[in-house]
Amino acid sequence: MEKTGTDTLSKQQPKTINIILAALGGEGGGVFTNWLIEVAEANNWLCQSTSLAGVAQRTGATIYYIELFPTQAKDDRKPVMSLFPSQGDIDIAVSSEIAETGRMLQRGFVTPDKTTLISSSHRVYGITEKSDLADGTMDSSTVVELANKYSRQFISFDMAELANKHNSVISSAMFGALAGANVLPFAKQSFSDVITNSGKMVATNLSVFEESYTQAQQIVAGDNPDRKTPQVEIFTPETAAATTAGFCLPSATSEKGALLLERLKCDFPVSTHELIHQGLIRVLDYQDFAYATQYLDELSEVLALDTGAEQYKLTTITARYLALWMSFEDIPRVAQLKVRATRMSEIRTEVKAAEGQIIHVTEFFRPRAEEICAILPRALGSAMLSNRWSRRLIELFAGGKKLRTDSLVVYLVLRTMGSFKHIRRYSLGYHHEMKLIRGWLYQIKEQVAANPQVALEIALCGRLVKGYGGTRERTSKQVSVICQNASANECISAEYIAKLRTAAMADDTNEAFYTILTES
Amino acid sequence: MAERSFKKEVLKLHAGDGDTFQGEGILAITKGLLQSGVAYVGGYQGSPISHLMDVLNDAQDILGDLGVHFEASGSEATAAAMLSASINYNLRGAVTWKSTVGTNVASDALSNIASCGVTGGAIVIVGEDYGEGSSIMQERTYAFAMKAQMWLVDPRPNLTSIVDMIEQSFQLSEASNTPVFYMMRVRGCHVTGEFVAKNNVAPEFGTKNSVTPNREAEKIILPPHVYQQEQDKIAKRWPAAVDFIIKNKLNEFFPGKHKDLGIITLGGNYNTLIRALQRQGLADSFGKTAIPIYVMNVAYPVVPEEMVEFCLGKKHVLLLEEGQPEYIEPAIHSILRKRDIQTKLYGKDLFPRAGEYTAQVTLTGLTRFLEVAGYSNDKHSLSVDDVKKLSSPLSDEEHERLLSVVPARPSGLCTGCPERPLFSAIKQVQKELGPFHISSDIGCHSFATLAPFNLGNTIMGYGLSLASSSSIRKALPHKAISIMGDGGFWHNGLSSGVVSAVFNKHDGILIIVNNGYSAATGGQDIPSMVEPNNLIATTMDAASSERDDSVSIELACRGAGVKWVKTVSTYSIEEMKQTLTDSLNTAEPGLKVIIAEGECMLNRQRRIKPLMKNAIAKGKRTVRARFYIDPKTCTGDHACIRISGCPSLTIKPSTDSLREDPVSYVDNSCVGCGVCGDNVHSAVLCPSFSKIDLIHNPSWLDLSASTVRRSVIGWFEKYDAWKRPGQIL
Repeated sequence: MEKTGTDTLSKQQPKTINIILAALGGEGGGVFTNWLIEVAEANNWLCQSTSLAGVAQRTGATIYYIELFPTQAKDDRKPVMSLFPSQGDIDIAVSSEIAETGRMLQRGFVTPDKTTLISSSHRVYGITEKSDLADGTMDSSTVVELANKYSRQFISFDMAELANKHNSVISSAMFGALAGANVLPFAKQSFSDVITNSGKMVATNLSVFEESYTQAQQIVAGDNPDRKTPQVEIFTPETAAATTAGFCLPSATSEKGALLLERLKCDFPVSTHELIHQGLIRVLDYQDFAYATQYLDELSEVLALDTGAEQYKLTTITARYLALWMSFEDIPRVAQLKVRATRMSEIRTEVKAAEGQIIHVTEFFRPRAEEICAILPRALGSAMLSNRWSRRLIELFAGGKKLRTDSLVVYLVLRTMGSFKHIRRYSLGYHHEMKLIRGWLYQIKEQVAANPQVALEIALCGRLVKGYGGTRERTSKQVSVICQNASANECISAEYIAKLRTAAMADDTNEAFYTILTES
Repeated sequence: MAERSFKKEVLKLHAGDGDTFQGEGILAITKGLLQSGVAYVGGYQGSPISHLMDVLNDAQDILGDLGVHFEASGSEATAAAMLSASINYNLRGAVTWKSTVGTNVASDALSNIASCGVTGGAIVIVGEDYGEGSSIMQERTYAFAMKAQMWLVDPRPNLTSIVDMIEQSFQLSEASNTPVFYMMRVRGCHVTGEFVAKNNVAPEFGTKNSVTPNREAEKIILPPHVYQQEQDKIAKRWPAAVDFIIKNKLNEFFPGKHKDLGIITLGGNYNTLIRALQRQGLADSFGKTAIPIYVMNVAYPVVPEEMVEFCLGKKHVLLLEEGQPEYIEPAIHSILRKRDIQTKLYGKDLFPRAGEYTAQVTLTGLTRFLEVAGYSNDKHSLSVDDVKKLSSPLSDEEHERLLSVVPARPSGLCTGCPERPLFSAIKQVQKELGPFHISSDIGCHSFATLAPFNLGNTIMGYGLSLASSSSIRKALPHKAISIMGDGGFWHNGLSSGVVSAVFNKHDGILIIVNNGYSAATGGQDIPSMVEPNNLIATTMDAASSERDDSVSIELACRGAGVKWVKTVSTYSIEEMKQTLTDSLNTAEPGLKVIIAEGECMLNRQRRIKPLMKNAIAKGKRTVRARFYIDPKTCTGDHACIRISGCPSLTIKPSTDSLREDPVSYVDNSCVGCGVCGDNVHSAVLCPSFSKIDLIHNPSWLDLSASTVRRSVIGWFEKYDAWKRPGQIL
């Protein structure tokens, strides 16, 4: 039996071992606590636990506090244990999520002399992070850095993924990590016995427990190369652009493709290759080789003016947003993506459909008259939109639709819709988007000579363009307004544009955006 | 059917003499009641005593066998009125609720019973929560105890003390003919531990043995008796209580070697105090203390004789009195002054006046006391500065950095909650006609006042939203809007709200959120139920109701005189928007009631999951639905999240290397309520949402249709794959 160490605890006088646990609703914090109580009792330790559900039994974090005390034969005195966790007096802190770990650090429950900190590295996003118009997610690196700095030992890995892999729950993973952390004076067996005796999901819970135990043991033993920097999922928008080093253009699989790649290789600096390559794949998938050539043509013009600063940052950024903008999501594009062969298997994996299980896929569409007219030839489309009667006619086809893409009829209809891409270049929507794109590109090129920073900021505004229907109208209008401002105002500053861009992403009512605009 | 089942745990209540009972605080209280021969119990749920109601509910068989009567009372006032059984008869009774709000609701009956007094022991178990996560305003039950002359018991939070004090509270109540508050703090309610049990005692009278009707005119609240009752409180009941407390040693003295010092604490704070002493090296693990301690397990009344006995000969005494204003501190000052005892008393000068006495707060207060009492650093291990440093090892700069990244996690509605689509609908109507002033209420729907809905201006109390709109309604640019839950409606809203509004020709709108349960307190049953509907995407037929005695909210409103009542499923966002718009625009006079109906999803899932599992196992064709977001068409604007806030609707990094913003994502906890799809249609969202139906045990029709589809679509896909090489780089 592997006995784990008790070096944190004084040997002369028995003291409590103090454990704090933060878990989100439905993550089995209660189950974890009950398991721990059973382990303690099996080892003749007294255990006192209490919990605080916050306001929320609903979606908030629940804090559990547990104290363990060794009983001794011939001593019937009962220890007095605390119902409150004390700052500076926590032996083990367990957290089911990395932001909650941050909260524990903030509240002083992790101290370098004492606390073994066990935390899953995954994120459960808060509502403010989720509802952001762009990327409002927290950067976990601060928490990881401080957790390493202020814990006696920081044991962290993605326990949610581990649990998910085995179709189990995160409490089993946390329990395994606790057993593997070598901080409780109980044998591993007494932990796993509790899971076995529970009689519920024993096999899956045990496999998660075992794997988690091993990972924790490796971290404790220092075998894990990531020990000081556990893998935490962080979104860093710049990574894609920054990883250019080491990127090697793949060879082409088609004749026309070879021509494009050759042009990319010869005309564009290496630092831009990876991104433009991705852009090419995208616009080619979206339309055809002519369109991809058009993409390179537009970029060449920007490149020609690019000062080359920061490894041709201006060209790279323009390449990214130009590719996204040129592949705007009109009805043919959405139809094309919905009937793609790989889509069904992606869905099956995501919803965990069993092998061979039949699934039905119902799409929810809500096109407006504008989106329908956008695929009509330009003159016809705008005429129909401006005429009250024809608009009403079109609106008969608009509105909420539920379509079963796995059914033949819908599949064929969507296929047909997808094939409308061949007439896309004549459509009202294409004309509309191209006008916007040219306005944006024109402004980038206009500004670059006099003020490259302003040009860069305008290029970055490409990020704003997204969404469908009203959202798309709002966001592309914002870019136009910024471009108009830049064009009208000779001494516009890069900071001002950056401020406008941030304001544009602050709310979906344009309030912040127009506040900044009217201020100046 | 409550959220947490205690069916298994309640079996422990059978424990007899000498058995070791292990479990949670609330379970120990229940055992304490049974050991004391309680004849009736009742109450109203609410944190932190919700689980006590759940335990009692689940223990009905055991209660019934003993002849104990249990009622899930309609409100705290109903529960308090139950205590009247103890006025004329030797019946022990206990009722419970969340304080201070529940005490406020119950106050009418409580004042009456406190005045006329009791024959059988009557106790009111109140849960108080002074913590930062508390959902109630932080007022002390103590004030009510003082003004009504009820005693307040505040036991040490270990199971043995908790159980003993239950029995002694009954005895105290009987010895002094006075009802007793028995106070539990939130952590004490949930604390686990063990105690040695005793046999349950069947009540002398109750369901199995009737009393002989007995009328005592002097116990009725009419002149001249009220005057006499007031005299009795002071002349007889109070001295009797003090006498009983002293004789039975309800308060505890713990000696210590530093005889010139002393600490007075309420029972509930004892463990935290001991921990602080342990950290200062002034107590051992078993609570043996170097500084004498006087534990007031009875917080009210204060016993002057004991206070004098403790303070006499001491130079410095510290009092731990959690909450404000302080009542015990001036009482002790008065006692000491009158006897001319010169002991210095410290309390709120060393401890914060407001807020919870957490471990850190207690340690800080104790350390300050040691310093003012002249104990230099070498006698205790931590100085005030040391303790201050303990609050966090992080530097200020590091704190700032953490604060700026760690996101808040406000409470929100659960996955698939039927209230979400209601608030989505209101938010959409507000966009067209708003902004709105909304009178909100207590319940899960209170969370609509938080992100992402941000709907609601005031909360005045349980079932009081409509009542609270009656003053503002004439000053609003739109018809007054009130939102109330079904729990609030039955608790208070029907009489204080609907009846009063009809009487006063209120022409506003009342939205009653009918989810079939008192959901926020843990899913307890209420008089009305909600018809299980099949609008929800998950097609498992909802089992019909288990109860046949349900009362209709609509009929109750009509009975109260409301003419305009519409019942709308919350999951039909379009219909809800239309109904709301109609109600705001109609010229029809009088109150407009919209019953927004949709079963609490937590309860629904609890019922449906086993049914579905069973159906699949039995080979029955079963469809399970969930939603899916196409990561390829999602552009990462998250408008869907801003009108929903469903926990299962979240985000994940985009797989598209060109897109930087995370895409929306439905995780596997989705229950397929269908709101995402409805929102796509009603709020004109993007084409990324799909409903995925997983078919278990497909029929031959499913199988053959699927085969045909797969082969034809498969052919097209092969054709594309053959054509494609010419189209890639």
